[in-house]
Amino acid sequence: MAEIKRVRTVCRSCHGGCGVMAHVKEGKVIKVEGDPASPISHGSMCSKGLAITQLAYHPDRVLYPMKKNGGNWERITWDEALDTVSGKFKEVIAKFGPESIIVGQGTGRDFESHFSRFGNLLGTPNMLTAGHMCYLSRIGATLTTCGRHPAIDYANNPKCIVMWGCNPLWTNPDEYKGVSFWRAYQKGAKLIVIDPRQGFLAKKADLWLQLRPGTDAALALGFFSVIIAEGLYDADFVANHIHGWEAFADRIKTDYPLERVAEITWVKPDLIRQAARLYANTKPAGIHWGVPTEQTINCTDFTRTAVGLMAATGNLDAPGGNVFHEPPGTRKISEFSAHMALSDEQRKKRLGGDQYKLASRMTIVTPKCAWDAILTGKPYPVKAGYLVATNPVVSRANANEVQAALKKLDFLAVSDFFMTPTAELADIFLPAGTWLEQDHVSENWKYHGYVLARQKVVEIGECWQDHKIFMELGKRMGQQWWDTIEDSLNWLLEPTGLSWEEFKHKGYLHGEQKYYKYKEKGFSTPTRKVELYSTVLEKWGRDPLPKYTEIPESPVSRPDLIEKYPYILNAGLRTPTFFHSANRQIPWLREIRPDPIVEIHPATAEKHGIRQGDWVWIESPRGRAKEKAKLNDGIDPAVIVAEHGWWYPEIKDSGHGWDLSNINLLTDNSHESMDPVMGATNLRVLLCNISCCEDV
Amino acid sequence: MEKISLLFSRKNCMGCHACEVACKQEHGLGVGPRLVRVLEKSPDYIPIYCHHCAKAPCREACPVDAISRNEQGIVLIDNELCIGCRECIEACPFGAMQFEDNREIAVKCDLCIQRLAENKKPACMSVCPTACIYLDGQKSIATVFEKATSPEVR
Repeated sequence: MAEIKRVRTVCRSCHGGCGVMAHVKEGKVIKVEGDPASPISHGSMCSKGLAITQLAYHPDRVLYPMKKNGGNWERITWDEALDTVSGKFKEVIAKFGPESIIVGQGTGRDFESHFSRFGNLLGTPNMLTAGHMCYLSRIGATLTTCGRHPAIDYANNPKCIVMWGCNPLWTNPDEYKGVSFWRAYQKGAKLIVIDPRQGFLAKKADLWLQLRPGTDAALALGFFSVIIAEGLYDADFVANHIHGWEAFADRIKTDYPLERVAEITWVKPDLIRQAARLYANTKPAGIHWGVPTEQTINCTDFTRTAVGLMAATGNLDAPGGNVFHEPPGTRKISEFSAHMALSDEQRKKRLGGDQYKLASRMTIVTPKCAWDAILTGKPYPVKAGYLVATNPVVSRANANEVQAALKKLDFLAVSDFFMTPTAELADIFLPAGTWLEQDHVSENWKYHGYVLARQKVVEIGECWQDHKIFMELGKRMGQQWWDTIEDSLNWLLEPTGLSWEEFKHKGYLHGEQKYYKYKEKGFSTPTRKVELYSTVLEKWGRDPLPKYTEIPESPVSRPDLIEKYPYILNAGLRTPTFFHSANRQIPWLREIRPDPIVEIHPATAEKHGIRQGDWVWIESPRGRAKEKAKLNDGIDPAVIVAEHGWWYPEIKDSGHGWDLSNINLLTDNSHESMDPVMGATNLRVLLCNISCCEDV
Repeated sequence: MEKISLLFSRKNCMGCHACEVACKQEHGLGVGPRLVRVLEKSPDYIPIYCHHCAKAPCREACPVDAISRNEQGIVLIDNELCIGCRECIEACPFGAMQFEDNREIAVKCDLCIQRLAENKKPACMSVCPTACIYLDGQKSIATVFEKATSPEVR
């Protein structure tokens, strides 16, 4: 019997981080198991990671580079592929300048450092990520408010947990996995859940605040209304460590009395009062928040207010509160990313840079600005693109515009595992390796104080890990990289005194945790205080104080639309088996969730003659998509909840059904609908109508 | 020898389905048979699994004695003996007996007997993030529901 080798590595089927033991037999991974020694996941694994063998060895996976020839894909060598891409890029640079090339990624896939380095050394400021409305947006908002991202400190057992628009047991594993939350909760922490939808956590919660979708910032300001009126704040912290407290308190008193907050949010005043008291009076208490708070016009203001709550209650950088984890001592990814290599001249050309200053500071553009430039040629033409592990045709707002823009590019290269609706628009396809096929000092972009060794378990076909593709393409563009991946990892690890080989055996590194660092050094902001009154936003000519802006398409702001579109669509429901647009072709996962689901309150469904399991058209002023009805009395009858990320890999034409159940055919990406400094698109809250779908 | 069985605290099942995929992987099963399965009835989740009944209806229904119960109380099916008549599937009150189309035989949870022999948890249990799946020496179904509502399981 062939020997089974066990290799310790780290998953990346979502943002990654869970420890894995991969079982290898005759050069093939036959099984993966959770690694009990992992400080992140403690041995658990989710359905996505457990199904990796079905992804890695999927019959549809593209295992070698390809080029499109007369509309058909044909196999080529890596040399031809890289020469073609670098040749095209050099042509565009010679004719239009490097800013006419966009480089894009999707959700965080642990190659941010390489992605940024490639773009910076290429000389383009036009880097597309999901960061305008996901994670990087909170990094930007927290950076300007308190200097660093404060992650909830589950390791020190918060006595009260505020789970805000988030279910880490299902998804959103940025800093902490669900297991860490669950352990703290099981130790008796009080739980406040803020969610328009009654899920598992809402049922467990001591208090469930069922807010109107998109009004999170107003609710957070409502917490402050109670905390200020009842003097529940930490007077010493407020006096010594918050900049602009008086002005902020005045705004709360004037603009956000509890009754008004209740009217905006649909949450009863007494419930807001109870929640604010529970959070403010329980020490320590932590806030764990998710992307729904970021994917609206209130993106930056919500995060700023949430940081304000942590600060004013004395929970910032306090054990069991929200803390600044110490980095584990490797070289910083900002250094690897070579941000300084991008000249001021190029930086100034960043699309939308003058308007979306926070996005610009985070070195990205909001995609809308890129689509505009491609489609109109203004302020300058954008001619070529390189998209890595991203499927924007399905996952970005206003899918029709995204598709039109990508089609208009003269040249597009993509890296992916499969021919997605986005990859089909490309001229060159570069086959990427899964997490089983890469060596990396993983998680180095997160704020949890760890880096973990993801080591290559196998090689499959001619696939390369994304890091290597960036590196080899970069070298062909004349950029400075390393000879091998191992050399680059050794450089990253150098300050720790470990080589990649040594780190691989060690498994992970953890920064030494210290608390209350502000007592000595203050916060990393211009005033050295938590800037509830932001001197940065003020300098940019923006409102320096957090506020709630009414959602641009809501029953309040657009009463004229109500007759035709009477419901609030809460788009983008996450599921545990899929990660955005990924995994629809994985048999084990698709069996669990064969169809896109739209949740409708039973009373609303009845009104439209819709029964459980019926296909339903969901329609907004911009388009429609069909999903399958699931009745749920845990949502407000005026709210419709729909899944995102749907396309159909089993449909073999080049569109792969991208326009059937794609909720982003309904979403808006107009400049008026976006966060004014971060350019966060509203992927979440809009008006819609529903009807039974006759032609299934 | 002490009898063992698997218990699901339904209260803490949050519908992640990791148990299902871990089970499929462990048993090399494709689409079709689901030896453990979580049904969704928002916002509740209902795990469907083999209770390894003492007086197992599947075993009693089997016309060829392909189903047996070992000394640990684990109800097992012998793939070689199974004739694919589906009587056991009809008989199981939980819907835990499954059919595999390729081999045309009934399949069922074996409590990961090979893993138990290596002193490892069953696959489903090993991945559950809320630890709502656990092994117990008690075997009766009544115990399952007592456990699910007992105070130490929040």
